[in-house]
Amino acid sequence: MISVVVSEMAQPLVKKDDDRDDEMDYSPFMGIEKGAVLQEARVFNDPQLDARRCSQVITKLLYLLNQGEAFTKVEATEVFFSVTKLFQSKDIGLRRMVYLIIKELSPSADEVIIVTSSLMKDMNSRTDMYRANAIRVLCRITDGTLLTQIERYLKQAIVDKNPVVASAALVSGIHLLQTNPEIVKRWSNEVQEAVQSRAALVQFHALALLHQIRQNDRLAVSKLVTSLTKGSVRSPLAQCLLIRYTSQVIRESGISQTGDRPFYDYLESCLRHKAEMVIFEAARAITELNGVTTRELTPAITVLQLFLSSSKPVLRFAAVRTLNKVAMTHPMAVTNCNIDMESLISDQNRSIATLAITTLLKTGNESSIDRLMKQITNFMSDIADEFKIVVVEAIRSLCLKFPLKYRSLMNFLSNILREEGGFEYKKAIVDSIVILIRDIPDAKEGGLLHLCEFIEDCEFTYLSTQILHFLGNEGPKTSDPSKYIRYIYNRVILENATVRASAVSTLAKFGALVDSLKPRIFVLLKRCLFDSDDEVRDRATLYLNTLGGDGAVVETDEEVKEFLFGSLDVPLTNLETSLKNYEPSEEPFDIYSVPKEVKSQPLAEKKAPGKKPTGLSAPPVAPTSTVDAYERLLSSIPEFATYGKLFKSSAPVELTEAETEYAVNVVKHIFDSHIVFQYNCANTIPEQLLENVSVIVDASEAEEFSEVASKPLKSLPYDTPGQTFVAFERPEGVPAVGKFSNTLRFIVKEVDPSTGEAEDDGVEDEYQLEDLEVVSADYMLKVGVSNFRNAWESLGADCEKIDEYGLGPMEGLTEAVNAVISLLGMQPCEGTEVVPSNSRSHTCLLSGLYIGNVKVLVRLSFGVGGPKEVAMKLAVRSEDISVSDAIHEIVASG
Amino acid sequence: MGLWDALLNWLRSLFFQQEMELSLIGLQNAGKTSLVNVIATGGYSEDMIPTVGFNMRKVTKGNVTIKLWDLGGQPRFRSMWERYCRAVSAIVYVVDAADHDNVSISRSEIHDLLSKPSLSGIPLLVLGNKIDKPGALSKQALTDQMDLKSITDREVCCYMISCKNSTNIDSVIDWLVKHSKSKS
Repeated sequence: MISVVVSEMAQPLVKKDDDRDDEMDYSPFMGIEKGAVLQEARVFNDPQLDARRCSQVITKLLYLLNQGEAFTKVEATEVFFSVTKLFQSKDIGLRRMVYLIIKELSPSADEVIIVTSSLMKDMNSRTDMYRANAIRVLCRITDGTLLTQIERYLKQAIVDKNPVVASAALVSGIHLLQTNPEIVKRWSNEVQEAVQSRAALVQFHALALLHQIRQNDRLAVSKLVTSLTKGSVRSPLAQCLLIRYTSQVIRESGISQTGDRPFYDYLESCLRHKAEMVIFEAARAITELNGVTTRELTPAITVLQLFLSSSKPVLRFAAVRTLNKVAMTHPMAVTNCNIDMESLISDQNRSIATLAITTLLKTGNESSIDRLMKQITNFMSDIADEFKIVVVEAIRSLCLKFPLKYRSLMNFLSNILREEGGFEYKKAIVDSIVILIRDIPDAKEGGLLHLCEFIEDCEFTYLSTQILHFLGNEGPKTSDPSKYIRYIYNRVILENATVRASAVSTLAKFGALVDSLKPRIFVLLKRCLFDSDDEVRDRATLYLNTLGGDGAVVETDEEVKEFLFGSLDVPLTNLETSLKNYEPSEEPFDIYSVPKEVKSQPLAEKKAPGKKPTGLSAPPVAPTSTVDAYERLLSSIPEFATYGKLFKSSAPVELTEAETEYAVNVVKHIFDSHIVFQYNCANTIPEQLLENVSVIVDASEAEEFSEVASKPLKSLPYDTPGQTFVAFERPEGVPAVGKFSNTLRFIVKEVDPSTGEAEDDGVEDEYQLEDLEVVSADYMLKVGVSNFRNAWESLGADCEKIDEYGLGPMEGLTEAVNAVISLLGMQPCEGTEVVPSNSRSHTCLLSGLYIGNVKVLVRLSFGVGGPKEVAMKLAVRSEDISVSDAIHEIVASG
Repeated sequence: MGLWDALLNWLRSLFFQQEMELSLIGLQNAGKTSLVNVIATGGYSEDMIPTVGFNMRKVTKGNVTIKLWDLGGQPRFRSMWERYCRAVSAIVYVVDAADHDNVSISRSEIHDLLSKPSLSGIPLLVLGNKIDKPGALSKQALTDQMDLKSITDREVCCYMISCKNSTNIDSVIDWLVKHSKSKS
């Protein structure tokens, strides 16, 4: 909204675009060419200016710029300086064009500040149009130092009685806040005054700016909302903004003690506003409330229902789109609108129709499905791919809801699969069929045949290989596997190399699982040995060998299956980096050297702008390489080189408060029978040099550990972080836990800040650090699995331990899930760490690697019992029953 | 009759209306913007802010309309002087005659500028400003220190003025008006 307003100028002096529509065949911009226009721009330098002519040339320049024509730096600068000559003309129309072209040229031309003085003169002129536009341009070209010079005028302009001028200053403030926040923040008082303006536009812009100034201060935003919701906002646009800010405050504050939601009354009152825009915004805000109740939802749904039968397409669209979203979480609340929505299926606007029908699919019952499907088929060909995807996704969830209807839905999917469509659309359909096959056993055979038919004529390599892979896993388990062979072998004959290679793998999987087919598969694989592509031949040779097709020693059945179907237990990204780092040498690449730790996405930190990151808080090492970096660091220290392979390094734990004299954090490095603490120290006092820095560790509360080595840091100058290490031995393989108290010991030397030289004599000193704990989670490596169910089944029930725990009163399931995950330090799988809001029970899947390289899988089932009582069932499977027990112990003691 | 006179004046001004374009340059705080104000309105103010970029003023003296490009004198703007000096009727260079330390910089800046081929032949008017201050240079001393005698490829003139006391401003205007006539 703001950008539209920004580009608008105060008075519409230029001819409106509508005039052009009548004469479609003629465009005044036909055949405009950059070189010629740049020549024409010389008229700007004429001693006798022709204002009309100059305006025309600027129009052409603007046209070229907006068409994406690139001006070189020299060209842009040259044009810019000629344009500055136009400040001599008093023609209002021309001046407007000058403002526009300066704004367009300012990023590409040099020395644009040359116009500052002229713009400042215009800013204080008596013509309002000059003032408003000069402000906008000035803020575009200015920098921090100049801004302080003109700040006084801008503050005045914010409270100017002319709304156009005030808006210009406010919008400029919004832009400037990105680059010079500390200056704009000083305008708070003026902006606050502008919020009370009678002009709708000013109020809107002032509110937006005020919120941006305060957005990092939750309390201030809350205060702002509290005072404004009492009702002094007249502008509908501002009202919409206020509704958005209000819902933000609601999101952050949660439900009050009395169970009432703060500000809900305000949102509800907005539903009775005169402006449709406000009504809709309020209705949408209510539907998006966290854990919204049916009672809260009802008034919002009622107004949206009225919009459904509005004569304005935009209202119908907005309403049906919002209802569509609501239907995903609260289908029952939307059923009241079903009749109105059915009439929208025949809406002229296809977007509205699509949303209506997909909403109906979500809210409808089993009996209405067939009728709806018929209607969908009619209009599928009229809508764009992205809407088709929406329909496909709706049908998928419908099918999972009513498994009995799978036949007609599957038919529908296979029909649309045969029609024209782009990759994303086809992928959505294939994904849906795959999911249906996986979840509805009856649909398997039919679905697989549909997919087989699809790959007979599929132009997307990605989809073909995906289907072939899936076919290899599922096909052999069907009643008649032989019927798929023909489809697969056709691929070997007809397709490109990538698809041929995956077809070979699929054939091998059939051969491994179905003994009766084995001889025939061998014949087919042998034919592949003459393929023109290396990869295809290599795969065929490999599989013939593993399956024993060439009469060689047959490996055990178990190993063959593990090889063909087992999943790769290292994360692909780690494997990729390791392979890239591998340099060709005598030593073969070792897949066990690939770190198995799943790297969590680095959280985007929100830092207060302008604040210099201090020593330790921003480690310079990029998160992707920390594990490698630690390993390299530790193996370079001779004392630790004998400890073997590093199992895990923890995230840094702060041992000091922020902003203290010395900042220390620690990283725990776990080895098979050792543990190394790496203390990262930083000295934040410029007048001091620390020498002989070490950490004295008291392990009296950690009986199983004994200190074996310590590596002090020679010197720690100001602002240059360094590390000191302490190593402990512990019984091998035992996940010993304990608490360690730490003291930093060092020799302090005074430093003359002006010369940077330290005195010769130092004083010994100590500094108390916080305690450090080694917990069970330190012995668990976060390792994900690609398919939890397969991995779970392959581990088998032999080493399974199940028990139930009461977790006591908790705020909600989310809190319980997070607590158990952090206690165990394992990797959540398949996105199960996210608890849908308002659910009463939840299952969370975790995987990890325990010390000694033991694979562990955990299935957590949570349920809410009495008032906020959370109970949990913990099922652990691992390769070692003692490890399964250990996991239970962790939970029981945690 | 007064009406008749006014009409005649107007007609005369139509026929004899002249235009000239000047660029006004010099180091910062030399008094360029003050000079513009004195020429345009006769007013003088001690309290001036530095010109960021340029100011454009039109002044009418007699039947001559003078377009004045008053350019900022801070180092960051000096490279842009040349762009605004091309094809003007005259370059007016203002020097703070009481600021002995900066006269040598002033000299090198003007000689650098005049060496540009695009500005060859354009008359130069050097104004030693602030002669009201004690210790201001004399005309002879300024001419010597600015090395004006070495400029031979164009007309060069030097006046000593004071914007504060409006000393010699009339001569400056006369010189300018004369040059607009000789040009056309």
